[in-house]
Amino acid sequence: MIIRAEHLTKQFKSLRRKDGVVGTLANLFSREYDLKDAVKDVSFELEAGELVGYIGPNGAGKSTTIKMLTGILVPSAGSCTVDGVVPWLDRKGNARQIGVVFGQRTQLYWDLPLIESFRLLRAIYGIPHDRYEQNLKAFTDLLDLDEFIRTPVRQLSLGQRMRGDFAAAMLHEPKVVFLDEPTIGLDVVAKEAIREFIARTNRTRGTTYVLTTHDLNDVEKLCDRIIIIDHGSKLYDGSIDAIKERYGGKRVLTADLTVACADIEVRLPGTTVVSREGHRITIEFDRSRVRADELIVELSRTCELKDVTIAEPELEAIIRQIYQSGLEPLTAGATT
Amino acid sequence: MVSAARYWDAYKEVWRLNVLTLMEYKANFFIWLLFTLVYHGVALAAIWVILTKFPSLNGWQRTDVFFLYALWMVGHTLNNSLFFMVGDVPDAVREGRFDRMLVRPLDSLFQIMAQPGQNFPDDFFVSIIVFGIAAALVHLQWTPLVALLVVMTILSAAVIDGAVQLVVATLSFWVIRLDALRWVVMSLENDFTRFPLSMYNRAVRIILGYVFPFAFMNYFPATVLLHKTADAAQFNPALGWMAPLVAAIWAAGSLTFWRIGLNRYQGTGS
Repeated sequence: MIIRAEHLTKQFKSLRRKDGVVGTLANLFSREYDLKDAVKDVSFELEAGELVGYIGPNGAGKSTTIKMLTGILVPSAGSCTVDGVVPWLDRKGNARQIGVVFGQRTQLYWDLPLIESFRLLRAIYGIPHDRYEQNLKAFTDLLDLDEFIRTPVRQLSLGQRMRGDFAAAMLHEPKVVFLDEPTIGLDVVAKEAIREFIARTNRTRGTTYVLTTHDLNDVEKLCDRIIIIDHGSKLYDGSIDAIKERYGGKRVLTADLTVACADIEVRLPGTTVVSREGHRITIEFDRSRVRADELIVELSRTCELKDVTIAEPELEAIIRQIYQSGLEPLTAGATT
Repeated sequence: MVSAARYWDAYKEVWRLNVLTLMEYKANFFIWLLFTLVYHGVALAAIWVILTKFPSLNGWQRTDVFFLYALWMVGHTLNNSLFFMVGDVPDAVREGRFDRMLVRPLDSLFQIMAQPGQNFPDDFFVSIIVFGIAAALVHLQWTPLVALLVVMTILSAAVIDGAVQLVVATLSFWVIRLDALRWVVMSLENDFTRFPLSMYNRAVRIILGYVFPFAFMNYFPATVLLHKTADAAQFNPALGWMAPLVAAIWAAGSLTFWRIGLNRYQGTGS
């Protein structure tokens, strides 16, 4: 096991602010605080080599958790270890074995060629020269850095910069890499390159990844396991397949008919007509109450079908449903 | 423990990047150099103008006041060369760059000070020349004891200056924006150290002597170096030798305050 979080809790104390000029002055002397639980009693364990999606809506407590695991913040209660190290007690020791990529904030030096940032990181992490050269070459090949490694960072495209940031975060061979929105703002091709890199290094180097993102395509393509948190508490911890099974009982059937479908009715339990547009009808149905073939038979009784597609539920739709319906938090590992 | 060699290695690398950045923006560098010269030129001219009207201030001749300014400037510019980036703490915290330093395996204060963007020691070299001229004008006798006092004063002055800035910067762990305070302290230092402390009223004497101890950067040692016994008598004559002690106290105090601020930051993340 490489990461263990036990009842991790972080409370923030924020000054209760009053508005307006008088209120702002009063704020200077105010001692009224609001306590907010940013992270509440979160526990999980990660095995070395796992690639886990850590997801939740804005303000759910994702970054706060990551900040505790990286040693930036000290928890209010609970504890965690990263490969045996308690991050906030041995911040520098922890820093040596982790890598962090913030998608929105680069650690590269804007004014200088990419390679110069790498050289500084070599010195900061004390990477032996031969290891540095070896890793630099490996990442240069994997990320195609050659074409722009001598270009000042300010002239790089966002996709190139992110590739540079990934190499920068991994030159010291971290065991665990925390990714915070690593593909934000990237085009399809650049996203694919980054995902490929993550999957490759996870496979070949056994790097453990904790991926925080709003792009559920990243999660769906990369992770087997996801942890969902909202309002600071863990809602779900388990495989993506299991969550689809559990919350994604609905399927969507889209049929193109030979006639206009304005007056087509479907009288089967567990079905809802989502839309009727010209010759195309879209029906949502509950797999546990009606089978797809029953639905198709029922439809073909009243009209001819030219084409039929049945869509699996999108992870995004499931997650949206979980955020909105506010499920009971699950116990740790219940669904794994 | 991270070895001192690693810190030295990182420091050298930062300076290499500094030089590279400089070559990237040559025009900018020359304009800064020009600014350094104009800035100190204007300050010296102002002193000169005042002393043309009043050739002597409390028994201090033009050349004495010039020496006072030059002595402060050497310590101050040494501080700029070493600790300039301490002033970056508030921005680093506000922009989130400070978090990045916390996930790297070196001391965070070291990383703040040693980052590309550091000041070049050009103004330090200029000040040494200016100080040499000033010392010649006041006919400073370079005995070993005088040399010792001068060197000690310059080193201590850099530390005092840096420590005061560190205290101001550390406040940003509590208050997000405090450019204003930084400017107040800066102008206290820049403007009030130009003339002998004995010509100011009690409030200024207390502030520069004991609150923000800028008087130890030049005035107190200068009373010894220039034999201003009348001035020294108004204070304690031993103060001229006290700069290293004040520097040590301020260094220890400011570092403790920094630790407290850092703990608060890691506790609240604000």
